[in-house]
Amino acid sequence: MSGEVRVWADYERDVHESCDVVVVGSGPAGAVVAYEVAASGKDVVLVEEGPPFTPDDFVLDGSLSMARTMREGGLRSTRGGFFMPTMQAIALGGGSLVNSAICVRSPDFTLDAWCERYDLKRTTRADLDPHYQAIEDFLGIAPTPDDVQGPRNLLFRDGCTRLGFSSEPIARNVRGCRGSGECFTGCRARAKQSVDISYVPAAVEKGARVLTSVQVQRVLSSGRRAIGIEGRIVAPFTGATSFRVRVDAKVVVLAAGCMATPVLLQKSDDLANGSGQVGANLQFHPGVALMGVFPERTHPQFGATQGYHSLHFVRQGFKLETLWAPPGVLAVRLPGFGFDLKQNLARFPYAAIWDAIGSCNRSLGRVRARRSTLDPALTYALHPEDVKLLGEAMWVLAQIFFAAGATSVLPGVHRMPDEMFSLAEAEVLRTGDLRASDLTCGGNHAFSTTRMHGDPQQGVVDELGRCHDMDNLYVVDTGILPRSPSVNPMLTAMALAHRSAAEITLRT
Amino acid sequence: MLVQMWLPVLAGVLGYGAYRFLAGYPTPPDRNAALSPREYATVAAAALASYPRGGAIQPSGIDAGIPAHVDRFVAAQQPSTRLLVRLLFVLVEHATLLFPAPGAGGMRRFSSLDAAQQVAYLRGWQASRLLPRRLVFVSLRAILTMGYFADPVVLRTLGIAPRALPTPVCAADLLWPRVGQPRSTIRHRAGDVTPPGTPEPLGHEGPLHPDFAESAGERA
Repeated sequence: MSGEVRVWADYERDVHESCDVVVVGSGPAGAVVAYEVAASGKDVVLVEEGPPFTPDDFVLDGSLSMARTMREGGLRSTRGGFFMPTMQAIALGGGSLVNSAICVRSPDFTLDAWCERYDLKRTTRADLDPHYQAIEDFLGIAPTPDDVQGPRNLLFRDGCTRLGFSSEPIARNVRGCRGSGECFTGCRARAKQSVDISYVPAAVEKGARVLTSVQVQRVLSSGRRAIGIEGRIVAPFTGATSFRVRVDAKVVVLAAGCMATPVLLQKSDDLANGSGQVGANLQFHPGVALMGVFPERTHPQFGATQGYHSLHFVRQGFKLETLWAPPGVLAVRLPGFGFDLKQNLARFPYAAIWDAIGSCNRSLGRVRARRSTLDPALTYALHPEDVKLLGEAMWVLAQIFFAAGATSVLPGVHRMPDEMFSLAEAEVLRTGDLRASDLTCGGNHAFSTTRMHGDPQQGVVDELGRCHDMDNLYVVDTGILPRSPSVNPMLTAMALAHRSAAEITLRT
Repeated sequence: MLVQMWLPVLAGVLGYGAYRFLAGYPTPPDRNAALSPREYATVAAAALASYPRGGAIQPSGIDAGIPAHVDRFVAAQQPSTRLLVRLLFVLVEHATLLFPAPGAGGMRRFSSLDAAQQVAYLRGWQASRLLPRRLVFVSLRAILTMGYFADPVVLRTLGIAPRALPTPVCAADLLWPRVGQPRSTIRHRAGDVTPPGTPEPLGHEGPLHPDFAESAGERA
C-alpha cells in the first residue's frame, strides 16, 4: 500500500479529507507518530505547513537559507526579560532538516527527576529505553567515526582528555557522512537521516497521506472530543494563503513544535487548558560559544558539524559540544569592528568554535498567541543563577581550549576582554560579575510549553501525550517534556512519540 | 494668532522631516531592488564602515557585494519580518538625532556623515551601556556579516569556501519536487537511486563548489 503526497502546486480547490488520525507537524516527533500509526494499518493524514526541500533547494548562504527554512525568516527572538534569538523550522521534516543530527538519550538522573517532580509513573529509564532503541535502529544512529571528525572536533577530544573530562563522539542519525559541515543548510550528501527522507517516506509507504503547505489554524472540537483540524493552503516562502483545508479525524495529534502547538490550542478557544499551563513554562537550552585560535590550521569547515561532546558536567547543568555553522552565522559572536573585525574573521582557518548549552531549569518564559498571526509572542527571563552557570561553562570551555593548544580564546561577552591569552585571564568568565545582558546567547531546544504531569491541574498532557482535558487529542512535540532533558531533546521527543503512537493505535 | 505664529514653524519641521527622510538619496544600482534608495544608502554606508577595504581580508563590504546580498535577504523575508529589518535601517539612519556622531554635523543622517563619523557612530552603538543600542548594533552587524561571508572571494581568501560534493539520489527524491513545483516535475525514477556505500570524507584539497570557484565569473 502506498499513500499520497500533495505539495503547494498540486492544490486546485478546497481540501476536505477524513481519516483515523491526523498529525499536525512533520518534525521528528510527528513523523514518528505518522509512520508508526500508519504501519499499524490506520488511515493517517500528516499535514505540514512548510514545503519539502530537495537538494536543489538548499542554499549554502546561511542567512538566505534561514530566510527560506525558518519561521520568521530566522529572526525570531524572545523578548521581555531577555532578548535571545531562537529558531523554528518551517519545512517537511521540521528541525531535523537543519539541525546537527545529535541523538542523545536523556540521563538517568533526569528521568528520575521527571518522575519524582511531575508525578510520572511510567517514564523511567526502563520504560523509555525500548522506545529509544526503536528510533536508533530505524535511523541507524551511531557515534560519529573519527574519519569524518576533522581537526576541530578531535582537538576538543584531546583537550578534554588532557583535563580528565569525559568526552564522546556524538551519536547522530546519519548514514555515510562526508564531513561537509553543512547540516545547518541541509545535507547535500543526503547522509543525514532527517525525517523528510526517512520516517515520512516510510509513512507514505505504509499508506499515509502527506499534505504539505497546509497551515493549520484551528483544532475542531466538540466537548471532550477533538474532531479534526481546519486551515489554509499557504504558499512557500511568501506565506500567502489560498484554499481552505479541513481534515476530519477520530484522533488529532499535535506535533507543531513547542512554540506553535500552544498557539494553536490558544487559537482554538483555549482548548485543553483546564490547567492554565498551555504556553507556560517555556524553557530553552541557552547556548554560549567561544572561539579558540590555534597555531596550526584547523580547516574548520571540514568534519562533522557537531562531532564531539562532553557530558562530564551534565549533572552540574551544562553540556559541552563542538560546533560549525555557516561562517556568517558564527561570526555574529565575534568582537571587533572595521579592521579589528576583519582581523578576527581572518583567523577562522585557525579556529575552532565550541559551545555550551545550559539546562537552565530556573529560567522560564511563556508562549502567547498574537491577534493577527500564528507567530508566537515569546517572553523569557534568564535567571541570575543560570547566568552564573553559563559563565562557569564558558570557563570550562576556555580550559579545554588551552589544554588543546589554543593560543587565545574569544568569548564574545560584553564588558569582558575581547581576547584572552591565558587561563588566568579567562577565569573572569567564572568569577566576573556576569549579567544576562552581557551574553550573546542562542535559544536552542525549546520545550515544556504543554508539559506532561500526572496531575491534570499542573500539566497539559499525561505520560502518553494525551491532553488531560480531552479524550482523543494528543501532543507529542518537545512541549510535553516536563523540564530540560539535560541533553539535546530530539531523540527523547521521538522516543516519547514512539510510545504515544502505540497508545494512539490501541485507542483508534 | 497663536496658530498663525506656529504654522511656519510646523511647516519648517515637516519640510525638514521630508527632506531628511526622503531627499537626496542616490538610486540603487538595481532598480528592482527590495531596498528603497534610503535603505540602500544606509546599508552601503554601514557595509563600508564595518568592512573597509584592505586589512586582513582585502575586499571591502562594497567589494563583497553586501548591499546586494542584504537586498536579497530582505526580499526573502515575509512582510512582517521585512518590516522589522526596515525599521532597523531607519533607526540606524536617523538615530543621529538622539546619539550624534562626534564632530561637526554629527546629527546628519548616518549615510550623509563622513566616513570617520560613520565608524565612530557605529562604535558608539557597539559599546553602549544601553542593551537596546547594543542589540541594534549586533543585529545590523549580523546582517552585514552574513552578506560579507556570502562572497566567494572572501570565502576563498579564508580557505573556507564550500567544496564540490556530488549529491546522491535517495528514495525520498522520488516523492518531493523542488519547492513551488508540482509533483509532475519530479525527474528521478526508481532506477536513479544511488546504492548505499561508504563515501570518502571531504578534504581541503578537493575541488570547490562551482558557485565558489574562481572560474564562477565573479570579480577577482
